[in-house]
Amino acid sequence: MVKVYSMTSCPWCVKAKKYLESKGVAYQNLDIEEDEAARVACQQLSGDLMVPVITANDKDYVLGFDKAKIDALLGA
Amino acid sequence: MAKEHRKRDVVVIGAGMAGLTAALYAGRSGLSVLVLESELVGGQIANAAGIENYPGILRVGGGELISAVQTQAESFGAVVDEFDSIVRVELSGQPKMVETESAVYEAGAVILATGMKRRKLSLSEAGRYEGRGVHYCELCDGQAYAGKTVAVIGGGNAAVDAAEYLSKLASKLYLIQRSELRADAASVKRLREHANVEFLLHTEPRALAGDTKLTAATLFDRKAETTREIPLDAVFVNIGVEPNTALFADQVKLDKSGNIAAGEDCRTNLDGVFAAGDVRTKEVRQLTTAAADGTVAALGAVKYLRSLQ
Repeated sequence: MVKVYSMTSCPWCVKAKKYLESKGVAYQNLDIEEDEAARVACQQLSGDLMVPVITANDKDYVLGFDKAKIDALLGA
Repeated sequence: MAKEHRKRDVVVIGAGMAGLTAALYAGRSGLSVLVLESELVGGQIANAAGIENYPGILRVGGGELISAVQTQAESFGAVVDEFDSIVRVELSGQPKMVETESAVYEAGAVILATGMKRRKLSLSEAGRYEGRGVHYCELCDGQAYAGKTVAVIGGGNAAVDAAEYLSKLASKLYLIQRSELRADAASVKRLREHANVEFLLHTEPRALAGDTKLTAATLFDRKAETTREIPLDAVFVNIGVEPNTALFADQVKLDKSGNIAAGEDCRTNLDGVFAAGDVRTKEVRQLTTAAADGTVAALGAVKYLRSLQ
């Protein structure tokens, strides 16, 4: 399952999620402001609390909105 | 494989307030409208936490406001595509051609509403720390600095807005501005109410330091002509903007500042090509003037397309 660590107010998070939706990719949205476990998991994954962070395997991730990197991550 | 050719009455380049307002008016006039945006829908206001000077709305987040305008434009048939980047444009002649990664659009009229892009910090080492202490989006990256010491560089409304947002997260916030503040008095007054905010005016960053992440900045006090280093976990850069014209600068006439040379009728030097919003030559750049430009450019495009029939 693709996971998106995000915040409601973050415009690049909104764009990243819209991009996944445009490609028909199902994802789990994890709000690091609202969800303490998500906050911890995001920090463990990327070493920081910058968003959006997108991962498909809880190991490799893309920080920020980068279409080419997201496509590569998803194996498109 | 050859790209598919698609016809549209109007292609709007840029989905900020000007572009989306143009799409709303052109769509409502019965035209087929495509809006292309490669960055953020909303442009500069996508990052704005609170807008208080849009008539009829007491206070609204930038994202919320622009989302409403997008919905309104889409309700009149406009299509907003924020993932298909433009490769090149051919704006002289008829039809106009806008080639994206996936298609070639033939348009009767084109509205350029590309707005402004943020200036990057002009220190040679800034790129090395980008994402590691040098940031341009407080709403995306601010959480990483909760309880830490950060600075906002800049003195306009966007900088003060960013500083207010970050002051609620950081333990200490410096607002660093090379001259006086240019932001609205109301915004500055609100920022001054935060006890953890220190204003460093007539001050500019001269160097950044840190191993893998930013840990300090060297500041130059322009009045006292003194230099000092302060510990810093991050700087958020808001030092102004410049017109976003690279895509068509070789085709459309620009003024000395690099903005598109077009009058209040939004007409450029090319028939059927209109400029709207902050990218156009103008004295005042506000959301309201962007919306006004979008209106004028769209109605100009309607009139131009009718003249072709």
